[in-house]
Amino acid sequence: MTLQFKPNETFRRDFTYRNSSAAILHFPFPFPEDQYMYSVNIEPHVKGGASPAYDHVFDVDEHYVAECRERAQVLAEDPKRCQVLPHMMAAQWDTLELLMENLAADYPAHFSLTKAGDLWTWINRPLGLHQSFTFGKAETLPCPPFEYITRQAQGDFTLQDQREDNLYVDGGMVTTQADWSFEFDIGMSFHEWHGPVPLAHEKGVFDRALKYLLRLQYGAPVRRLNWTMTINPRLDTSPENYPVWGPDKASVTPENVGQKVHLRVELQTLYRLPRSNAILFGIRCYLASLEEVARVPKWGKRLHRVLRDLHPDIEAYKGLPRFRQMAVDYLAPLDDGAELSKGIQSELTAL
Amino acid sequence: MSDQGIKSRPKYAPLELDPAGRHHLLLVEGPALPAEALAEGFEPAAFETWTVVNRSALLPVQVVDAQGESVRPFRAKGHLFSALEERLARETMGLRLYATGSEPFLWDVARIADAAGMSRQEIRLAQAGSKARRVFCVHCRTYGEGVTTSIFTCGGCGASLFVRDHFSRRHAAYMGVQVDAEVPGAVPDAEELYA
Amino acid sequence: MIASGPIPVRIHEIEQLSPTLKRFAFAPLHGGALPTPSAGAHVLVTLRHEGRVMKNAYSLVSPPESRERYEIIVRHVAQSRGGSRFLHQSVARGDVIEIGVPGNLFPLASKARKHLLIAGGIGITPLLSYVPALKARGARFELHQLCTADEAPVFEKLLAPHAAGEDIFIHGNGRAAFDLAGILARQPLGTHVYTCGPRALMDAVITSAAALGWPAGKIHRESFGDASGGLPFKAVLAKSGIEVQVADNQTLLEALEAQGIAAPCLCRGGACGECKLEVLDGEVEHRDDFLSAAEKASQKFIMPCVSRARTAQVVLDF
Repeated sequence: MTLQFKPNETFRRDFTYRNSSAAILHFPFPFPEDQYMYSVNIEPHVKGGASPAYDHVFDVDEHYVAECRERAQVLAEDPKRCQVLPHMMAAQWDTLELLMENLAADYPAHFSLTKAGDLWTWINRPLGLHQSFTFGKAETLPCPPFEYITRQAQGDFTLQDQREDNLYVDGGMVTTQADWSFEFDIGMSFHEWHGPVPLAHEKGVFDRALKYLLRLQYGAPVRRLNWTMTINPRLDTSPENYPVWGPDKASVTPENVGQKVHLRVELQTLYRLPRSNAILFGIRCYLASLEEVARVPKWGKRLHRVLRDLHPDIEAYKGLPRFRQMAVDYLAPLDDGAELSKGIQSELTAL
Repeated sequence: MSDQGIKSRPKYAPLELDPAGRHHLLLVEGPALPAEALAEGFEPAAFETWTVVNRSALLPVQVVDAQGESVRPFRAKGHLFSALEERLARETMGLRLYATGSEPFLWDVARIADAAGMSRQEIRLAQAGSKARRVFCVHCRTYGEGVTTSIFTCGGCGASLFVRDHFSRRHAAYMGVQVDAEVPGAVPDAEELYA
Repeated sequence: MIASGPIPVRIHEIEQLSPTLKRFAFAPLHGGALPTPSAGAHVLVTLRHEGRVMKNAYSLVSPPESRERYEIIVRHVAQSRGGSRFLHQSVARGDVIEIGVPGNLFPLASKARKHLLIAGGIGITPLLSYVPALKARGARFELHQLCTADEAPVFEKLLAPHAAGEDIFIHGNGRAAFDLAGILARQPLGTHVYTCGPRALMDAVITSAAALGWPAGKIHRESFGDASGGLPFKAVLAKSGIEVQVADNQTLLEALEAQGIAAPCLCRGGACGECKLEVLDGEVEHRDDFLSAAEKASQKFIMPCVSRARTAQVVLDF
């Protein structure tokens, strides 16, 4: 498969990011039902399924080149967005191996990996990179292995060390996050890291999710979808830069809500890593404006119902109060109240 | 005290001897053991105790007092921390570390213990005295010490920071987030919460 | 690496290490590379012999970077359930068997400042993959191998490639002259201890370490985990009248799916709650993390992705 990249898209200032029709159908719409509540919505990460975003181990799409450039820019402004604690070196190489092997296998037109013993050669055609290095020798790469490979991937990644029946977030590349600070959270246990999430602790969601993840098997990754909403197609909605992007929330009007308000979906994938026994957590961010989402009739109707009936604690936690009602009013005329099929599939083959 | 419902905020329990330990080192951020930090039946003689007296004219020498309690005073927290690093570097397995004092003190101790290879199972912490908070400005990474109000001004970037209950053990600090980021200037009145 | 079922391998080499120990090397049947193994990992080896299917777990002794070959060492024990006897007596070079993806319930602790390794007899096997990994990381370690005098040369030879300049000790008189408590007592703060071997040795290490104040999180014993299977049973689906046989190595969910029944499911690991079914009759052995203690005690529900019947039959409202 050959992708047509859109290298000049921007995620700041003039916000030229848009989804093509194909990219809209590729969007992993996160609501299988008309209501939303926290649950352990984890399933095996096997290829195929309800969304085309599941067709590859690591999904690459038309925004790849632009997202890698945006990541480089965030790192230039704030190098601490990528940190790995010293005991996670084996996990760094595990990550590099997992990403390189799967990108090369899934997208041979864009990536290739050849090995002669420990001597590996990596070619990334979209970014124009050609790198020979010795696996296991960090000094043979231009930067540490985790940073090297995650600079060439869409979405954020964290590394979880497993010890004392818990998971600790001891490494990460976090530049496209939904309002959580990696520099603040690094080193936290599973429950501490999720501390600010409302309702879910009381429902036992994190207790069950942790037990499940502690048993995660090598070779059998799992996935889930999470969501929030972002004003403008901005990838970096970090707490660090909240004073920069916060004012956007007050800029939504009934006239611009369809273009300005974006449904932000995270395709979260979790992989047990072999050498380190750590877990790699991929948080792949997708953005689509309300206008784009509503081009799929089922999704527009369902999003209307979810937002209309959202629990106030979740609304507050996700930072939606300033514009949720405008979004509901925008979507309401598109919703005829018809019964919608269970599941996230678009039920369309073309737009 | 207010509760924002955030689960990363540590919970503390009064100190008790961990009978599984082989030797027990107790660090006190003050000249004497605060009664509020101790569980019923607490036996100070079972511990080697280090205290902070905030006085220059003393030597950090271990003294066994009339009650059989072994106490070593330090001039200041930093003085104690450097001795702790040196001590842990030559300790053997079986040590239990206990600390009582303000929250920043407790987690500064925990960080030194972590660097020495101790796990959370080998450390016990009990908050005592001031509830003032150390706050980490998430925007500019400046620490604010002794924060007692719900909102305060960052000494680094000047932002009005809301003190969120989200706590980082690594930073030994709460998160400070600009309260008026969405509508600049809309800063609510600060409340005295963490005295 | 993303797994897609069992891996067929060819027996590439068999080496007799002692009268009762053999080393087997497996190579991927269709070429290419095996999944990256980890230090301390084991594989489930499927053995088919005279109509019987045996699944035995063996630690990998090959170093983690070895993806062309996996190696295991098997002791032929008199009271063998059949697996080790079959491997010793009936398997030959060139034979094809199936193995699973490596799993690891005995991993190295990444934050340990020192690793203390204590093995007895053939319990050395996971440590043979530890040692090169620790050396590659520049980690500090100390290894004690306990064995009988006549086997000491065998273990010396196995450890010889790694032994130069390292704290590797072979105790050929077993536990008699082995100062376990003394060794545990002098370990620096931040040490983790790992033990593998006869149950009595592992119990002694765990008990002594705990008595000396080692926290549970720094004491590790080899484990292959609980087998996912159990006794076979029958599930009766009340709404359709269909009867489903659940084999010993199969979950109830898998058995339903094998019958072409579209049972609800999501996580397949007892956490999400999606597959919950109501039980009308029969007793359930609960293995999930979803149902509350009260729900489990009520015996009214089952999570078919992990839980099984304790009775020969369960009747489900499905």
